[in-house]
Amino acid sequence: MGEETENELDGKLVLRIAQGDEEAMRELIVRHQDRVYGTVARMIGGAGPDAEDLAQQIFIRIWKAAGKYRAEAKFTTWLMTVTRNLVFTFCETRGRKLEVSDTVLDSETEEVQEVRQPVEGRTPREDLAGKELIDAVKLACAGLPPNQRLVVHLREHEEMDFFEIGKVLGISELGAKSLMHRARENLKIKLSEFFTEPR
Amino acid sequence: MSMKRDQGGDGLGPELGELYASVPVPKAPAWFAAKTMARLRREEEKSRGWFGLPRWILIGAGAALLAVGWLRWESQPSVADAELFAALDAMVEEEKDSRWWAGL
Repeated sequence: MGEETENELDGKLVLRIAQGDEEAMRELIVRHQDRVYGTVARMIGGAGPDAEDLAQQIFIRIWKAAGKYRAEAKFTTWLMTVTRNLVFTFCETRGRKLEVSDTVLDSETEEVQEVRQPVEGRTPREDLAGKELIDAVKLACAGLPPNQRLVVHLREHEEMDFFEIGKVLGISELGAKSLMHRARENLKIKLSEFFTEPR
Repeated sequence: MSMKRDQGGDGLGPELGELYASVPVPKAPAWFAAKTMARLRREEEKSRGWFGLPRWILIGAGAALLAVGWLRWESQPSVADAELFAALDAMVEEEKDSRWWAGL
């Protein structure tokens, strides 16, 4: 199914939702639950009850605001805008600053694990497949400011273009590109031990 | 062997992008849709008051009734004391006539 058709299908579902159709709402949730939950989890630092609660709130907001949706914008852009609003508010109210430290809480196992261990005797490629590096990347991403973290996620995981990302963040396309550039530079610094400077 | 920093281009670039992609994105837990629908229904129920009407309609109707009652009370014709006593005296006079006609 093409992207346009996907968007048209979403648009039709939202129209039905605006008329109070619960079955359409259930279908929309099933279609986008991984996208929303994954984005929320990436933004707040891991999966868990908070991520589930926020993801549910996002869908409830979609239900309530369905009548205001205008099909000029892509549905996923609107969905991500709602996601951004709730997630940023959550981060502000909880004062949740995911500071860069030498430990990272593994959200799946709730184990605190040491990262940044010496990598001597192994190649970075071996590291790449390892949990240690995954934790290092998680930690590096968690240390980014929320707007940079969201830009990276939307670009790399959701594969959105910068025009759409700009709409989600309420900034220009150029502004979104600039945020991406800064995020990339920050990540390179944070993950510098896994890279060498280009000659 | 170590990786070279990539220049990135529009995204994170191939190497940093590969690193980023190596971190799995969490998927929604089982029953997420069902739980969300149940919560949605609960919230809808909560926002409804008596007779299945939205709470804001009930509050609005109550406020309108109070306002109408207050306006009607305020617009009642006021009766001066003199008029009141005159009316009472007339009743007493009427009473006297009635008693006389009745042979009392």
